[in-house]
Amino acid sequence: MIQLLRIELFKIFKRPRTYISFGIVTAITSIIQLAMLSDGKSFLAFGLQGIVDQFDIRGNIMNGYLVAFIILQSLLIHIPLLVALVAGDSFAGEANAGTLRLILTKPVTRPQLVIVKFISSFIYTVLLIVWLAIVALFLSLLLFGPGDMINLKSDAFVLLLRDDIMWRYAAAFAFSTLAMTTIASLSIFLSVFADNSIGPIISTMGIVVVLTILSNLQLPFFNLIKPYLFTTHMIGWKGFFDDPLPYKAIGRSSVVLGAYTLFFLTATIIYFNKKDIKS
Amino acid sequence: MKRLLVCLLICLGVLTPRARATEPDQLFESLRRKILAVTDYTAQVKIKINVTYMRIPPMAGTLYFKAPDKMRLERRGGLSILPRRNVHLTLNNLVPTGNVTVIDAGTEMKNGRNLRIIKVIPEDDKSEIILAKIWVDEAHMLAMHLETTTRNEGTVNMEMEYGKYVNYSLPDKVTIIMDIKDFKLPKGVALDYNESTDPKPEKEIKNKKGTVQISYLSYEINKGLSDAVFNEE
Repeated sequence: MIQLLRIELFKIFKRPRTYISFGIVTAITSIIQLAMLSDGKSFLAFGLQGIVDQFDIRGNIMNGYLVAFIILQSLLIHIPLLVALVAGDSFAGEANAGTLRLILTKPVTRPQLVIVKFISSFIYTVLLIVWLAIVALFLSLLLFGPGDMINLKSDAFVLLLRDDIMWRYAAAFAFSTLAMTTIASLSIFLSVFADNSIGPIISTMGIVVVLTILSNLQLPFFNLIKPYLFTTHMIGWKGFFDDPLPYKAIGRSSVVLGAYTLFFLTATIIYFNKKDIKS
Repeated sequence: MKRLLVCLLICLGVLTPRARATEPDQLFESLRRKILAVTDYTAQVKIKINVTYMRIPPMAGTLYFKAPDKMRLERRGGLSILPRRNVHLTLNNLVPTGNVTVIDAGTEMKNGRNLRIIKVIPEDDKSEIILAKIWVDEAHMLAMHLETTTRNEGTVNMEMEYGKYVNYSLPDKVTIIMDIKDFKLPKGVALDYNESTDPKPEKEIKNKKGTVQISYLSYEINKGLSDAVFNEE
């Protein structure tokens, strides 16, 4: 199993497309950081306009913590795409290259292969999130310095003191890893149906985009289904920047995301076990 | 009988000025003199902002004041959040200066103290302050409550509690009561997590008042603060 995992990781990190994801994360964060360096004040003025009429806020508002938060919020749609790029290729890529049958001639059970591909996608996801933490958080702290962080909600202004923020980021990144693991399991699930990796990658993105729109539409009908959509819970990381911390909501979101991951993984194993592999 | 009546009138005439309370304009003058005697101070403070839409932990910092209108909160690298017209956070700026008309508005019992109420109207038509209503503890010559109507900033309500710095008329705790406007951001921009679908309680919607509570832990008074202290980006 370990040997198989090593081989899977070797395959993932040998492909140039794997590093495109890291490059894209670096490019997007750098662009946002540059934009904030040059025109962050006017960006802030828009968000704070209702508050600065009554309160005088001084100090390093546009600090590294706030910039990292803005970056994470902007990457809501992009990171799932980058995860799908690798996870969606796991089975479909092998099928396309004609190596899937070859692997299964080895003494490896089909569920073992699914689990190994899931673990390797999980490791890739963790590395991507760690890289995101490095460029979005630590580089922003280096460029903008630390400070108290403002979190603007639609009807609230939350201030977090600088000594109380780092653990929130650690928890938020851990939660994001869980959310992205759900996306990886969805991509792997879609991947077993296809013989070309473009299909599962685009399907994953389509599902994420459509469900994200449904999660954010303010219509009473959608309010009924929102709690059951995994995209509603993917932004659970934001809960760690609230005060008081919504423990119950974060717990519920974690359970929903965990359940979806388990469902996609089980469904993949069941389907792949019965699949007639022709290539 | 006539002699007795004359004696009574003489006694009354002699005693009345002593028994009568201080004249309102004298009272105000004494109070103003005491307040304006503080020309600058540096204070260690703890600020608590209680506004429905703001979730801010208590902020500790150093508050600098220099008469007539300089004030700055320093939070050792942290953000400083003060009401917009923060010069109103100090008594010095809420007590009218120059010639004024003082009207006696009676007395009121507050927290077990009998307070004298005076209304102060500046004679200068261009004065920022239109009317100040002050609840005064005559025995200690302290302003306990202040309601100042300003020309541009509405009404500022301020409650004071005194302790160690009573001789300087500097409070240990100030509560500023202010009118609060609504705060709303488009939901599409904020992308809220865990938004409540339940409507807010009616009481919360109607309650448009907020308070800013400043606890002064220590003061350094009249040390001659430099103007440079107030220069910041």
